[in-house]
Amino acid sequence: MMEFIVPALGHIIEPWNILLMVLGLTGGIIVGALPGLTATMGVALMVPATFAMNATSGLIMLGAIYVGAIYGGSNSACLICTPGTPSSVATTFDGWPMCKAGKADFGLYTSLISSSFGGIIGTIMLLFLAAPLARFALRFGGPENFWLCLFGLSTIAVMSADNMMKGLLSGAFGLLISTIGIDPNVGVPRFTFGYYPLVQGIEVIPAMIGLFSFSQVLYLIGSHRPFIADYTPTPGAFGQVARFLGSKCKVLLTRSSLIGALVGMLPGAGGEIASIIAYNESKRWDKNPEIYGKGAMEGLASSESANNAVIGGSLIPMLTLGIPGSAVAAIILGALLAKGIQPGFKVFTNTGDLAYTFIMSQFAVCLLMLPIGYLLAKVMAKLLRIRLTFVAIAIVMLSFIGSYAIRNNMLDVWIVVIFGVVGYFSSRVGLDTGSMALGIILGPMIEENLGKCEHLSHALGGSILDVFFSSNIAIALMALTALSLATPFLLSKKKKMLFEQSETGSCGTEEDFDA
Amino acid sequence: MKIHSVIKAAVVLLFMVALSIPGMAKAEYPDGPINMVIAFTAGGSSDVQARIIQKYWNKYSDQRLVFVYKPGAGGAIGFSEIAHSKPDGYTIGGLNVPHIILQPLVQKAPFGVEDFDYICQVINDPQVVAVRKDSPFKSIKDLFAYAQANPKKLLVGLVGPNSGHHLMFLDVKDKYDFPVSEVFYKGAADQNAALLGGEVGVMFGNLNDVMRSQDEMRILAIASEKRNDFMPDVPTMREQGYDVVSYIRRGFAAPKGLPQDKLDYLTKIFKDICTDPGYVADLKTAGQPGEYASGAEFKEYVLSQFAKDKAALEKAGLLK
Repeated sequence: MMEFIVPALGHIIEPWNILLMVLGLTGGIIVGALPGLTATMGVALMVPATFAMNATSGLIMLGAIYVGAIYGGSNSACLICTPGTPSSVATTFDGWPMCKAGKADFGLYTSLISSSFGGIIGTIMLLFLAAPLARFALRFGGPENFWLCLFGLSTIAVMSADNMMKGLLSGAFGLLISTIGIDPNVGVPRFTFGYYPLVQGIEVIPAMIGLFSFSQVLYLIGSHRPFIADYTPTPGAFGQVARFLGSKCKVLLTRSSLIGALVGMLPGAGGEIASIIAYNESKRWDKNPEIYGKGAMEGLASSESANNAVIGGSLIPMLTLGIPGSAVAAIILGALLAKGIQPGFKVFTNTGDLAYTFIMSQFAVCLLMLPIGYLLAKVMAKLLRIRLTFVAIAIVMLSFIGSYAIRNNMLDVWIVVIFGVVGYFSSRVGLDTGSMALGIILGPMIEENLGKCEHLSHALGGSILDVFFSSNIAIALMALTALSLATPFLLSKKKKMLFEQSETGSCGTEEDFDA
Repeated sequence: MKIHSVIKAAVVLLFMVALSIPGMAKAEYPDGPINMVIAFTAGGSSDVQARIIQKYWNKYSDQRLVFVYKPGAGGAIGFSEIAHSKPDGYTIGGLNVPHIILQPLVQKAPFGVEDFDYICQVINDPQVVAVRKDSPFKSIKDLFAYAQANPKKLLVGLVGPNSGHHLMFLDVKDKYDFPVSEVFYKGAADQNAALLGGEVGVMFGNLNDVMRSQDEMRILAIASEKRNDFMPDVPTMREQGYDVVSYIRRGFAAPKGLPQDKLDYLTKIFKDICTDPGYVADLKTAGQPGEYASGAEFKEYVLSQFAKDKAALEKAGLLK
């Protein structure tokens, strides 16, 4: 290993590679911040460009875009309550209340530092623990993934502790939406009402753009406010954030990053789930859980560190086994294969030069992200100084372009509009759009893995319960899910002793509609 | 008055004819970029292959190839986009077989195998039977012996349902006593992970997909007519006494009704590229099992496969 690391550092400081990292990061952050343009798309678009480069430079650039885009997603989550990538859903929970409270700069810097920290932890795992972790990730099959998704879904209980009925209802609605399309286990279309394009199902990204962003625009237009939120930059905010995270959030950041890296390794689960689980765990273990959802830096830090730690995690099975841990890792794998590089444990010896240069470049990228992200955050926060009418038009335009660009398909634009209206009215009646998004994201995975468990039970000659209890990991996840479901009751007991009321902090809940 | 309007009409008519002359004297096809519809996401195997074609395209054509991605529903959205485009030679696209056979049959996808003018076949990716490196199965015979001795106990991982893997599975079950349980995965990545993690004992997968994890797997057999250059040591199913042949093939096509001269032009370019040594070498580096066949041969294969697959699905009770 050491014999590769020193030359790897040499490759990284080549000016061409530094330039690629800077460009990749900048482009990635912008792509991630634009609603509808995701990390997957950003990386996929640049794959053809890598055909003209040597394999190492190509990988460095793709890796930089990946890191930038996952962080960039938090910018729009904080500033306009729109997760720029699906990984940033949990970032909106606290990022948006912070922005509304006029502390957008604090939100952006918290995201930046946490993302960078999470990325570094993920890369450390990739560098030192790739082999054992890859073996561990393989133990996640049907039952384990099913319970992991249910564990993620149980977050609804914590998120909507004050009105669980409404939380469950919107979660169930999300799950129902996710059943549109081809049945993953039988292979026949459902709920397409004779309209063929619906067989591809409701794409998650346009649905979320609708639920979060378009509905937000509808709300903002009705609010008669001149600007999205009041904002005066606080001098020294970056330093204050860094000190706060460094002193108060060490445990939280580390825990969230570890969750991110572990979930990232699993082929079925990515940043969407990791950030939500990390958020949930931070809230559960915090001494003051009631501050979450109201603009807590802790909430932002857990979501953003987890989703960037996913990157290192998702590269572990990709490099060692040829099994991508996320959609973006799958594209990077395609680029590797096109160069004739075979993944496998031998990648660290046979093509060690390439593998270690790539890994070391991830460290460099995470560090470079601090200055680049800082400058871009300053620019993006200017958005809050632009009159709402212009911003609203721009958001709608970007939402449409972004959602069309996902599959070059008009259906996705209509999905944005429909879900925008659904999201707007749901918020009005207090149905939580975050829970709905969770249902839409997790529904297909839950269904697919449940189907797998059913198939697996044929071989055991027993019921599906035998499949669940045949796996220790599944049993542990079941226990965690139960604990998670019990959390609201435990929290409310705790709360009774401390404060009187608490509110959920999703986009546009009732209290937003006071204008 | 009447004469006046006749003259007017004549003038207008003359003017229109004059306008249309440059149109008639239009430069030879193609005089604009050609759209290449890819029915899968950018960076996938189909895209990588088409991009290698693109790399050599301008060696043989003056016009650019523009990529249009229409992913969704396992390719069906893109395939129907190709089928329903104007047959003017400016929209072509990649097709995957048996996808274009199965989707209209099982999902009522809005196109059929007869809606295309086939240009060529470029990839012939045979299916393989793979087990984990530490598996006790050393040959297909071991596998069948175990399955027959322990009915339903052996789990077979497939991508599907209603996929090329599923059809090969139905074919095997139809011809031989193979009492196993099947598990479906949504893609090759999940399927490979399940095999390596031990969730399933064996899988039917494509050569191209299996190759990326080949350090961890043992390939028991390849379901092709002859051995493959990528894995010359792996015997075919037939060599081991099982008459099973199953492929995923990829090619290019235009919407039905393309004028013959345009089709000839495209056919020639694709043939020139596919026989270019640089292209052949690049394909090999990317791990793609290339096999060129003409449009006519490809079409014949698709039609004969359509009849076979339809019969197999009907027999298995999967067509309603």
